Amino acid sequence: MADKPIQGEKRVFMTGNEVVAWAALAAQADIMYGYPITPQNEIMHYWTRMAPKFGKRFLQTEDELSAGFTTLGGVLAGRRAFTATAGPGNTLMQEPMSMAEMMRIPSVVVIQQRGGPSTATVIYSQQEVTMTAYGGNGEGFRIVYSTGTHQELFDYTIKAFNTAWKYRFPTFVLGDGYQAKMRESLTIYDPQDKGMEMVKTEAFIGKEPVNGIKEPNHIRNTYNTEEELFDVLAKYMEDYLKIAPEIVEYQEFDCDDADLVVVSHGVVSRAAKGAVQELRSEGYKVGYFRPITLRPFPAEQLRAVADKTKTLLLVESAYGQMAKLVKDAIFGSTVAIENLFKPGVGITSEEVVDKVKGLL
Amino acid sequence: MAKTWKIALAGEGGQGVQSVAEIIAEAANEEGREALYIPNFGVEQRGGVSVAFLQIGDNQIGSPKFQKADIVIALSDRAVRRTRQYVDEKTTFVYDSSIEGIEDDLPKNAGRVLAIPAIEVSKNELHPRVFNIIIMGAVIKSTAVVSEDEAKTAIEKKLGYKFEKNPELRELNFKAIARGMELVEKAQ
Repeated sequence: MADKPIQGEKRVFMTGNEVVAWAALAAQADIMYGYPITPQNEIMHYWTRMAPKFGKRFLQTEDELSAGFTTLGGVLAGRRAFTATAGPGNTLMQEPMSMAEMMRIPSVVVIQQRGGPSTATVIYSQQEVTMTAYGGNGEGFRIVYSTGTHQELFDYTIKAFNTAWKYRFPTFVLGDGYQAKMRESLTIYDPQDKGMEMVKTEAFIGKEPVNGIKEPNHIRNTYNTEEELFDVLAKYMEDYLKIAPEIVEYQEFDCDDADLVVVSHGVVSRAAKGAVQELRSEGYKVGYFRPITLRPFPAEQLRAVADKTKTLLLVESAYGQMAKLVKDAIFGSTVAIENLFKPGVGITSEEVVDKVKGLL
Repeated sequence: MAKTWKIALAGEGGQGVQSVAEIIAEAANEEGREALYIPNFGVEQRGGVSVAFLQIGDNQIGSPKFQKADIVIALSDRAVRRTRQYVDEKTTFVYDSSIEGIEDDLPKNAGRVLAIPAIEVSKNELHPRVFNIIIMGAVIKSTAVVSEDEAKTAIEKKLGYKFEKNPELRELNFKAIARGMELVEKAQ
């Protein structure tokens, strides 16, 4: 069997789907469960091509419901398992991920957003924000990383495994069809070479007896009374709020003296960054804020920005899904809010520049 | 090279615009430049025009697609109509001179419009299979995003295993690059 998948650091040029497969290998994932859907298919293709060389496995299930549940089954059996999906597949994935929330089963799901609702386009959108952050019949006890570059796709896919297993909340890497299909450069590496240890996995069930006593590990997703459920959820909420500050990630620049701050996430933040830099070079007082974690959301950090600036311009390839998270985070602020919403369509820096110039 | 070149290549399925974009992007990456290539994909692929979006620069590329291109290369009548939207006064619009019935569809606002006989040269002078390599020559002549040598290295990397078996193919491909560059030079 081959040695480590990645020796040292390597600059590579590949599609985002290939990046995810490499990242899962680097993170020592044991098995992928999945069902094909564009634009994430090649994650499975590359995984199935590469994984067997390193003793890793793959199971194609009959749909995404099954892909999600088998992923959780793999995790319960002690495997570092993951899955990937998109669009209508993400919809089906909500059922197993609700169970993961209830039973605190660590899980990693990579989402490559496509146009919605329903089948819509196989191409691109940022319309799976609400569903990925708050889907299912629960409270959104999840962690969602929204990536914007291939380097981030690699870094955060690795990180997602540690976040999930450390905190035991379902963890999502939220990409999109552009990131899935485009090719750009990045540096891949073995996390251990960088001093990053992968959090150990262990079987949740079927454990060996300790001192001759076999303790049952009771993982429940059914409760008999309202009070029983309330107590469990109150504890989960407490856990979630406690760890949120450790997990929250964001980027900002040029916000201190800004009259307007552009807020965007994921691949759109590339356009926002270019736009803010160009506007600054022309003398406009504009800033940039980007949540990397959509859940938990960098609420305090954005509120501090909202208190300093006059206007937030919310830019996303959806009709205000990120905007809902923003408004919830800054509730009570009197900052003006403007929108550039293009559901299911890419946004360029030229469009952001034009929009800002129209506002200032 | 301070500016980021934005290049849109469009043609019918099988004309090889995606592989051309990919080879150029890889050549630029090998040079240590920033490159981003994304195909259009989706149901359009089933019988639609194939468009490749390619950007090459020195800094990280912004959004994967763009509104206006520096260079548009259109290789069929439908490709001409499809890619007019990426043209402004700074755009060089290159199309194949054998395409018929598009006189009224050519962009009027382009900085330059160049017709090159790539299809004819590939059929009558070289070989239809190197049509896309002629186009690659045309792209690198129009933009200088990669040198002829870098392009050859990238082709070697991609097709080297075929050249091993049939060295004439290497000559054919390299000739195609040179001819593609010449065609643009002449058209200017």
